[in-house]
Amino acid sequence: MAPSLLHPPSQLSPGEALQLSQQAPTVLQNSPSTISSSPLAALLPSSETPDLWIKYENLLLSCLRTGDERAAHQCLERLVARFGNDNERVMALKGLVQEADAQNNGELEKILKEYDQILGDNNTNIPITKRRIALLRSMDRLPEAASSLVQLLGFSPTDAEAWSELADIYLVQGMYQQAIYAMEEVLVLAPNAWNVHARLGEMQYMAATAPGVASGTYEKSMAEAIKRFSRSIELCDDYLRGYYGLKLVTKKLLKDAGKPAKESEGEFSLPDSKTVERLNELATAKLSEIIRRSTAQERGWRGYDKLEVAAARELLVEEASAAAAIER
Amino acid sequence: MTWISKTITALGGLLLAHACYSAQEHSSLQSFRATAATLASSTPAAASLPIDIAIETVVATFIIVLGLVTGTRPLRPIQWRVWAGKLEREGVEGFMGNDGEMNRDYVGNPFRSLETRPGFIDIRKQRKEFANWVKSGGRSEAK
Repeated sequence: MAPSLLHPPSQLSPGEALQLSQQAPTVLQNSPSTISSSPLAALLPSSETPDLWIKYENLLLSCLRTGDERAAHQCLERLVARFGNDNERVMALKGLVQEADAQNNGELEKILKEYDQILGDNNTNIPITKRRIALLRSMDRLPEAASSLVQLLGFSPTDAEAWSELADIYLVQGMYQQAIYAMEEVLVLAPNAWNVHARLGEMQYMAATAPGVASGTYEKSMAEAIKRFSRSIELCDDYLRGYYGLKLVTKKLLKDAGKPAKESEGEFSLPDSKTVERLNELATAKLSEIIRRSTAQERGWRGYDKLEVAAARELLVEEASAAAAIER
Repeated sequence: MTWISKTITALGGLLLAHACYSAQEHSSLQSFRATAATLASSTPAAASLPIDIAIETVVATFIIVLGLVTGTRPLRPIQWRVWAGKLEREGVEGFMGNDGEMNRDYVGNPFRSLETRPGFIDIRKQRKEFANWVKSGGRSEAK
């Protein structure tokens, strides 16, 4: 089944994106090319629905990705004809098309200048600000991108997406503490987001296992990681990613248990080894249940990503073989 | 389970129709008797329905309600973790209507955009990745 055109296509696999962009000719043919924006037209029964414009936008993104420039330009033309050149969202889409068309760095610089010019006229144009940051990042100018993001967050501090982007930029630079701080801001804005909890747990785990961490930080990060993964499971039954992370962290802790651990105090102390062991067992049991049922394609268990399931199976097999080696 | 519920509803409907028909017949008989009685003497006839018709009507109503209730689709989960777990476990499949179409309000994990960040997409990187995917033979994982 082809994915729906009503959802943003950024997380789709290449195959699915191709499927979407192949729908372009039919979608473009079946919908009228211009729709009057006069208030009188709103009185007449017309074919205009909000869905149509979301479809065009998502189609534009998919077509750009798969290199179908003709359809992309057509989508853009229709959006411009309806919303005008000075709509902020349309401006960002236009910039996106230009970025995709750019052949070399010089052209990218020119686009960047255009963005700066637009922002000079109106420096609260958030879609364009975001495009500018994304372009900076794409041109490997990470520090500049980070500082612009901080500026954006200065005047729009409730933008969870921007905080999340900032966390990602810090993370690829290896600045774990800053990344974790930014991710915690996302959680402040979206406290029920189970995937963000899991993501934060992964970041904590990365911070703990990064080379050259002090042992105090290590324990604190591991304790935090356990907490984050547990919270993500609490928010979402049978969450493969949460259980995978929990399994990974507890496994590492149990392996390290032989080493003398320093007493750490406060709320960040690690749980005792019995609790860790029980968490580990729970994660193993749940993971094997998920793997078994989703491999058997049981009804109601088919939503998991195949690659994620395969990774979980690998983790369990690896541990089983290690245990067998110890027994021998 | 739909055929069970449909059979129960149809049975209830049948009973209800039968009760209505009986009531109608009863009243016409009553009025006929009443006219006959007034012609003969002046004893008033009882105008109330016999108890069996009343019981049949009530039972038929309950059977219809039972049929309709058993025929409804399972309710949507109202606990956050159950709902989220359903999203993760079943994907789109759990949110199909009876006609096999995706529910219009299905959005998947509403927080996924915090990780994919559509406002910040790096279109050049995506194009490169797609080109590489095509070059590598486009191993089709599309369903």
